[in-house]
Amino acid sequence: MSAIAKLARQPWIFAFVAAVAVWLATAAFTHGQGAGGVLSVAFTFATFFVIVAIGQMFVVTLGPGNVDLSIPATMTLAGTVSMKIMDGANWMILPGYLIAVAVGLVVGLFNVALIRLLRIPPIIATLSSSFVIQSAAIWYNRGLRVKPPTLLADFTTAKIFGLPVLAIIVILIAAVMHVVLTRTVYGRTVIAIGQNARAARLAGLDVGRVRLATYVMCAVFAASCGYVLAGFSGGAALNMGQEYLLSSIAVVVIGGTSVAGGFANVPGLWGAALFLFLLVTMLNTFGLGAGVRLVLTGLIIITVIVIAGGSRANAR
Amino acid sequence: MTVRVSSLALALITATALTPLAALADTADKRIALSNNYAGNSWRQAMLQSWDKVTSAAVQDGAVAAADAFTTAENQVTEQAAQIQNLILQGYDAIVINAASPEGLNGAVQEACDAGLTVVSFDGIVTADCAWRIAVDFKKMGKDEVTYLAEKLPDGGNLLEIRGLAGVFVDDEISAGIHEGVSENPQFKIVGSVHGDWAQDVAQKAVAGILPSLPEVVGVVTQGGDGYGAAQAFKAAGRDMPIIVMGNRQDELAWWKEQKDANGYETMSVSIAPGVSTLAFWVAQQILDGADVPKDLTVPFLRIDQDNLEENLETTQKGGVANVEYALDDAKKVIAEAKGD
Repeated sequence: MSAIAKLARQPWIFAFVAAVAVWLATAAFTHGQGAGGVLSVAFTFATFFVIVAIGQMFVVTLGPGNVDLSIPATMTLAGTVSMKIMDGANWMILPGYLIAVAVGLVVGLFNVALIRLLRIPPIIATLSSSFVIQSAAIWYNRGLRVKPPTLLADFTTAKIFGLPVLAIIVILIAAVMHVVLTRTVYGRTVIAIGQNARAARLAGLDVGRVRLATYVMCAVFAASCGYVLAGFSGGAALNMGQEYLLSSIAVVVIGGTSVAGGFANVPGLWGAALFLFLLVTMLNTFGLGAGVRLVLTGLIIITVIVIAGGSRANAR
Repeated sequence: MTVRVSSLALALITATALTPLAALADTADKRIALSNNYAGNSWRQAMLQSWDKVTSAAVQDGAVAAADAFTTAENQVTEQAAQIQNLILQGYDAIVINAASPEGLNGAVQEACDAGLTVVSFDGIVTADCAWRIAVDFKKMGKDEVTYLAEKLPDGGNLLEIRGLAGVFVDDEISAGIHEGVSENPQFKIVGSVHGDWAQDVAQKAVAGILPSLPEVVGVVTQGGDGYGAAQAFKAAGRDMPIIVMGNRQDELAWWKEQKDANGYETMSVSIAPGVSTLAFWVAQQILDGADVPKDLTVPFLRIDQDNLEENLETTQKGGVANVEYALDDAKKVIAEAKGD
């Protein structure tokens, strides 16, 4: 009994409860037809959200005003550059990935330079850098779609027992990042900075270096996501990152991470990403019009956040 | 205040210049600007490249003095309105617009007209009375898709509809045409409808999500830029491949060709050529030249069928969109057709 009570107090539980509820509602509507298939597809697409959301979560945890708005542009640039350089050659898969990571490193350092050296608030800095990055992607390949190497396409779409291989890898990465957040000096420092940056600095923590590492890490995750998404969907497109801007933030918040910083958790990202995908699928399955769908999406997200937030306040 | 007075004077001068007496005015000293609201996808990139190619040749040949392209960063009405006001101040003779909104820019467009500029809108048209419109009959495009499917599948069956970006009027128009076609062909039934945002990865995700809960689907009606993603989703789900109407993207055509060679797969592909920007350019040039041009013109579709797939695939840039660039004579023909109605 106490185990259940303890579980119910976890901030991430509501995202999973909501995801299961939405899934059951869909299954009930179709009388169970395709319920398993929907779940398998949900894991496929939730994977991409989780990759970017891990980075975004660390950034948001740094405290008020910290958010990375350059994620979509970074995904697009990394996808575009790596696909064009690989040019469909299978032996280039690993070098291509390293190039994507390098794009992420450069973007992350550029963001930090804007924030630290020029003292621009992160929201403005990452928004303006996203224009530069997006323009670089346009300039680099003028929106032409280059096919990914066949092995990469096969790898990103492969499944074992109905579960996507990519999802399994990202679940492992999420587990590692959970340990990084809760058990390492770096992770604890991120949380400490988010709770009170001044106190963290006075306690002797290297605030500047941790902040730099966090923004760079976020950009590298975004770049990795751009790489695998381009591999998955048959090439990079200029608008491929568009919907990941708001979703990356939504996944972080629904997952039970405090948008004011200083309070984060990794498992909730998976719950929230599955929930968001299943929610859209449910409304599509119900066959509702676009307007009603968008209104319901908003209302349901608000409901989940209010319930999760309310219980968190009580738990403290 | 000075600006207003001088623009009024300019308006009067231009109004006189546009009388039939001056019907053969030379346009060699005229300057035309392109006001474009968005550049973030392959269609728009091809549109800008076509504009650049055709207009730079036109400038070199002395047809016009300048034809500069301007694109706003954020696809915002306010930003494009400010851009149009700048173009007025910079003294262009005509503005060719791909607009962020049909009504939102009317104020700025009216200012341009009052200042004596010729305004030609295309693709994303504006509704202001003083502007010309090169519109696409999106409704017919949607209906044509269903008509094609009715020919190919006389027994009918279930259809999946992939829509574009919710809230954009193009999406409403194409969808209305599709639904009209379905109501005239009751052997078809739309069993699912998702928004693919005209992007392959979004369409793939949306179709993959709804597919497990759907009965057998015989046809997929689309809006362009979503056919390849839909095909990937059907393949991943292990379903029989339905007839997916394509939207002229090179990856869609290449996939179609691959299927055609492998198992005789048949479909059709329809969209608007990005080169429609060059048609708008020549129409603007004709108006400046004093030609009598009706306010509402219609762009022809670029349709690809089973028998001309190969030749179209060959001329389409790898990873781009099937395209046609228009010449002065094409513009004259479109104008003549509009007058004939």
